[in-house]
This record gives sequence, structure tokens and C-alpha cells, in this order.
Amino acid sequence: MPDFNAVSDAFAIALSWESIFVIFGGVLMGYIVGVIPGLNRSVAIAIAIPLTFYMSPYAAISFLIGLSKGTAAGSAVSAILLNTPGEASSAATCLDGYPMARDGRPRTALKIGLLASVIGDLLATLLLIGVAIPFAAVALKFGPYELAAILVFALIFIAGMAGGSFLKGMAAGGLGIVLGTVGLDPETGAMRLTFGFYELMEGVPILPLVIGTLALSEMFVQLDEYRRNRNQSAINLGDSKKDDLSWKEFKMTVPTILRGTAIGAFVGALPGLGPSVGSFMSYGAAKRAAKDPSTYGKGDPRGIAAAESADNAVIPASYIPLFGLGIPGSVSAALLVGAFMIHGITVGPLMLREQPEMLFSIFSGMLVASLLMLAIGWYGLRVFARITNIPQHLVIPIVIFLCLAGIQVQGYGTFGLLVVFGFAILGYFLKKFDYSFVTFLVAFIVTPMLELNMRQSIILSGGDAAILLQRPIAVVFIVATVLLLLHFGWSAMRQRKKAGLTRED
Amino acid sequence: MKIKTIFKTAILSGAIALGSVAVQAADFPTKPLNMVIGFNPGGSTDIQGRVLANVLGEHLGQQVNVINRPGAGGGVALAQLANSRDEGYTFVFGTSSTITFGPLAAPTSYDLDSFSYVAGVTLGQSAIVTGEGRPFSNWSELIEYAKANPGVSYATQTTLDRLLIDYIAKQEGVSFRIVPTAGGAGMAPLILSGDVDFGYSGGTHSGYAETGEMPVLVSLADDRLVAFPDAPTLRELGYEIDPGEIRVVMVPNNTPQSHITRLAEALEAATKDPRFIEITEERILMPVVFIEGEAVKAQLAGQIESYKQLIEEMGGLN
Repeated sequence: MPDFNAVSDAFAIALSWESIFVIFGGVLMGYIVGVIPGLNRSVAIAIAIPLTFYMSPYAAISFLIGLSKGTAAGSAVSAILLNTPGEASSAATCLDGYPMARDGRPRTALKIGLLASVIGDLLATLLLIGVAIPFAAVALKFGPYELAAILVFALIFIAGMAGGSFLKGMAAGGLGIVLGTVGLDPETGAMRLTFGFYELMEGVPILPLVIGTLALSEMFVQLDEYRRNRNQSAINLGDSKKDDLSWKEFKMTVPTILRGTAIGAFVGALPGLGPSVGSFMSYGAAKRAAKDPSTYGKGDPRGIAAAESADNAVIPASYIPLFGLGIPGSVSAALLVGAFMIHGITVGPLMLREQPEMLFSIFSGMLVASLLMLAIGWYGLRVFARITNIPQHLVIPIVIFLCLAGIQVQGYGTFGLLVVFGFAILGYFLKKFDYSFVTFLVAFIVTPMLELNMRQSIILSGGDAAILLQRPIAVVFIVATVLLLLHFGWSAMRQRKKAGLTRED
Repeated sequence: MKIKTIFKTAILSGAIALGSVAVQAADFPTKPLNMVIGFNPGGSTDIQGRVLANVLGEHLGQQVNVINRPGAGGGVALAQLANSRDEGYTFVFGTSSTITFGPLAAPTSYDLDSFSYVAGVTLGQSAIVTGEGRPFSNWSELIEYAKANPGVSYATQTTLDRLLIDYIAKQEGVSFRIVPTAGGAGMAPLILSGDVDFGYSGGTHSGYAETGEMPVLVSLADDRLVAFPDAPTLRELGYEIDPGEIRVVMVPNNTPQSHITRLAEALEAATKDPRFIEITEERILMPVVFIEGEAVKAQLAGQIESYKQLIEEMGGLN
């Protein structure tokens, strides 16, 4: 068990002025990104990674985590005032948030959204801290057999759960795996798929890949949509005295917030599901539990509370598999792995043994971020309401500039620009044809780890599968993977049959 | 051909011209310097290099900034340095195997003669290590055990240690299951859990010197290790190899001699500075030395020859 000194030192670091300043910056930037409808979390993290090059590893990670938490809270603002979710995951917030704002209570709606966000976030962060450490302590005992089996299981799980068709999920994952094997062979040192480019020796550079597929391609998609809907204006906050959150009203939403947090945390801890699933599940559950469900969809504060608490709880919970096992379960977690890599840290259970101070500093930084989120959201209400009106034709060029500048910062040169544009085009088509993004990115990130563990297992066992008899944990995951494959394959086939029956042409 | 010669002459005369200007400007350095480290932040070279940069900065009277340029086992940083025209304002603090073995393992745009060696300041302490509770407790027992029990596994990290273990296996007539691992952080759990029998360690074992969880079987330095004096060297065991590594400061070979001399003076002072000695000898457990540039180069040249022979004997690298 970690000693007390490490924990208290970690808090001292997280509570220094410098680190509060960095986390504040992250949360604030995240909030703004969340509010602006055209900008989403993954775009923001991808273009923010280069900004963290000159920070200490702790500051960089805290900044990025603050950023991703901030987006989840900020996205409620545009959902409520504009009826356009700032993040896809706040779509459920629109259902009751926008009607409530139209009824002349925009400030109440925003405050409920904020409180639900903060409570969901804080509780899920505490859960992460409570769960990740014992998890990591167990995971430390895993050898190459167990790790290889768990990674394959996680990849199949994500491919099946990330939404859309299972086959497309597998295809996206396969593409990620192929890209993940580029570079030096870990065993023989042979060059693989580098096509003579010296720059590809260490693998496809992660930063151009994420900036291209996530950020730049998203701007192409936005440009596409911008042509269609240009004129939207947000509801004004107004000065009505009646429009404020009362203690009674807040108390009414507390059970919903707690339920939403539990659902969000559960969904978040499972790799691949993501915050949208969490917030809609929570909204559905709240509606079913209500005595009078007909008020939902007409401006019920509990609707906002349900959606926002789950939306925010997903984020910290999705870091449980990351810190516990080293497996990123969401796009933002995968991006964090990239950021850790750039700072020379392998994220996962080993951190508990090798860099416990760092791990605890990050955890305490996450708690600080939750509290700062409350302060920023509460006092910045009016400013953020204004920001919803920022026109797309300002946002898009700035983001494109930041994408390209970010590549130059790390010194990739012309090669980096080519890679970025190549991946931007790839990302655009992945989005257009609905191939799972999470699966692609997570597969790319975990492939080197999967390959190494797989090859270690094969060499150590001398190719004899009987070794698995001494490895019950690995066997459990292999069996689970096979069952999962059968299940997803079976339901994909049934869906296809159904679609074939209804579409008689 | 002709153009190449003209080009060469131009560069040479340019370098000479620049050199003479710099000699006239006797006070070097007049602006901040850059120390490039070819490894990620947080590694032992980086930890040590940052302290060295601070200490050097005080002796030179100018700030020394640390820049990390990881990649290709330090090779990316050296490839960039070879093209630098910075007259010693940019230098690399790195490990000698990047220069000796790097160009043999893969084509590189630099070799031993691309650089001038300011000084060697630390001796590497890499080793062949094992874990607790093994059926062997020293090298000869390990070889006996491997002969009796085929399938003994070895964790490799670099092409060099793989070449060494292949050579040793051939000499002893045994075969090992050689498992690739990603750096010391990847090797340690495999050795500690007993999944792999023994392995190469660049410096990770130093962290376990006190607990004894990672005993050293063989020293891969030219002498016995400071923290593990009981483990014999390769030569003591009868293998004719000296893979000892030196941590060295180097500059491009076009750097004015006066600048190199000034840097060497500052380095010599740094090796006597308690802060540098503390980080090196107490934190990463490596001995601090001061080896002059000429001597470093001669030693590395000898090492390159012996690696070439080794590779030839093994029929190339696999």
C-alpha cells in the first residue's frame, strides 16, 4: 500500500499555485471548447497536446484532464441555450434544457446542469481513485499471457460496443492494428511498412495521426455542415429575479444526479461505450423512475440533471481501465496515452510501483479540476452564454491553423504535414461512412503493447499452448473473447437478415 | 565529383574561417548553450543530464538548456548534431554505444569521425540480471542449468545485448529463448515475476540494489559494478569482449578547438561538483570519471573493431 508521505506530497504538488494555474487554464479552455458547438473534446485535446510540450509531465497531464472534464460541463451551455449540444454527449441535455430556457428560466437550467456536472465528476473521480489502485495492484501480477489475452478481449469488446456495425468496428480496429505495426520489429529490428521513410522508423508518429484523424478531419466535416445551417441564435440570459435556482429545486434533483453518476460511472468504466450512451441511459432511467414521466421533455430540471451528471461521470470513470490496466477505453483516454508517451511515461499499473508520486499528483489534480469547474462555471455563466454565439467561420480557420502549427512545434517538418493531411482525409471518410473512431484509435495505441506481449508469450511457451493450463486468468479472457465474438457475430447476422426482410428491392 | 570537391572545399574553408573568427573571440560562450539528450525525459541519462546542465551553466557563466530528442537509441540526436554548425553551442550528452554499435546495427548518417569528443564523465553499469528464487545463483550455475533444462529464457532490450547473448550461447553450446522487451520498465516485471529467467538491464537493477530483488550475474562494464562487486565481468568469465559504455559529451567535428577546450575545462570541474557526483553515484549508481576526449575516441575506436569482429563471427546481425 502506498505510504502516507507519498499521498500528502502529491496533494502538496496539486495544491501549489503553479499547478492550480495550469489546471485552471485547462478547465477554462475545456469549458470554452465545450460551449462552442463546432469544437469537441477530441479536437481540443489533440490540438492541446503540443501546447504541453514545455510543461512538466504532471502539469501536462493535469492540463489535459482538466480540459476534457471542462468540455463535458461546458457542452451543457450550448445544449440549453442553443438546442445544439456542444458535445454529442449533451444531446440528452437539450431535451429538457432547451424547453426550460425557452420558458424563461435559462439561468436555472444552466445552474442545474453545472451542479449535476460537478457532482457527477467529483464522485466519479473519487471512484476512480478508490478503484484504480487496487486494480493496478492486481494487474501488476499479470504476465505477458494475461496481458495479451486481456488486450484482445478489450479490442473485440470495443469493436462490438462502440456502436454501428460490428464488421465496420472490426475493420476500423484492423486498420488501427496495421498502422500500429509500422516501424521497427520489436524482436528482429527489421523495418516494417516504412517504405524507406526514416521518419517512420519509430512507428507512425502519434501526434500527426491524432491531429489529422480527429481534429483536422472534424473541421472538414464542420465545413460541410456549415453550408447548411448558418443562422442560429442563442436564448438571452435576461435579468429576471425569478430565474434562479432554489434550494428546494436543487434538492429535488439530487437523487437523479446520484443515479446518473452511478450509470455514467458504470458506462465509463466499460471500454468503448462513451459518454453519449451514458447520458441517454441515465435520461431514460430517470424518466422511467419518475411518478409523472410526462413532464420530461417539457423542461423538467431532473432531465438536465440526469443527462449532465452521467455525461460528466463517464470521463473520470473511463480512466479506470487506463490507470488500472494501461488500456484506453475512450478517445480521450487514448489521447492521454499519447500525451504520456510524448512525456516519456508508460501509463498503466506500473505507474503505481515506479512513479506513485506522479499517479497521486494526477489524482489530486483531478479533484482540484472538479472544484475549479464549479467556480468557473458558476461565475462565468454570462460569459459562456455569450460564447455560444461565436460564428463557425471564425472557429474553423483558427482550429485548422492550430492543427498545422501543432505539428510544426514537435519538429515533424514537411513529412508531418503530409501525414496530417493524409490522416485528415482518412478521418473524414471514417466519419462519413460511420466507421468506429474509438476502435481505430485504441487499436492503434495498444497494438505495440499487444504485439510485444503476444510474441513474448509465444517465445516463452516455445509455441506450446499447454502453458495456458497454468494461467487460469488468461484462459478466462480467451474464452470470454470467443463468446463475445460469437455473440456480436450472431447479432450482426440477425440484424442483416432483418434489414434484408424489410428492404425488398 | 568535381562539384562535390568544390562543395567540400567550400565547407572546409568556411569552417576554418568561422573557426578563426571564433578563436579571435576568445570569450566562449557568449550566449546560452543547448545540451541535447537523445532519450526521453525521466530516463537515467535525462535525470543526470539535467543536473550536469545546471552545474555546467555555472562554470561557463551561461545558461545551458536541455533539449530531449529521443529516437533510435539516441541516434536521432546524433544525426542532427552531425549537421550542426553551432561551434559547440549545441552539444550532445549521450551514451557511447549510440556511436560504436549504432552505425553497425543500422545505416546511420554519422560515424565515430563525425564528432569531437569533449570528455567522458560517467561509466555505464549495465548488467545481466536475474530474479530471486531461481535454481541458479551465479553465471556458471546458470550455464549448467541451461544445458540440463532447454528453454531457459532471456529478456533482451537492445540489438547489442542480443548479439552478446547469442555469442555467449554459441560459445557455451546452449540455446536460450530470447524474449524482446520494451526498455527497463518492460524487463523488470518479467524478471521479478519469474516469467523470464534472466535478462539484460541497462540501469534498472540499480533501483533494486538495496532490496536484492534483482541480483546481478555478470557485469557488462569493463570492470566490476560499483553496486554489485560480486558479479564478474565478461572477460573474467572468459569471453573476449569489453562492452563497457561511457557517457560522453560530444560536439560536431568542425567545432573550434578553443571551444572544445573550454567545454572540457567546465566538464572537469563538473565531475568534481558534489551535486553531479550525488545524482550520479547515489541516485543512478554509476561511477563519475573524467576521461579526456582523445582517450575516449581511442577507446571507442577499439570497441568498434571488436564489435565488427563479433558480428562477423556470428555471421551478421539477425
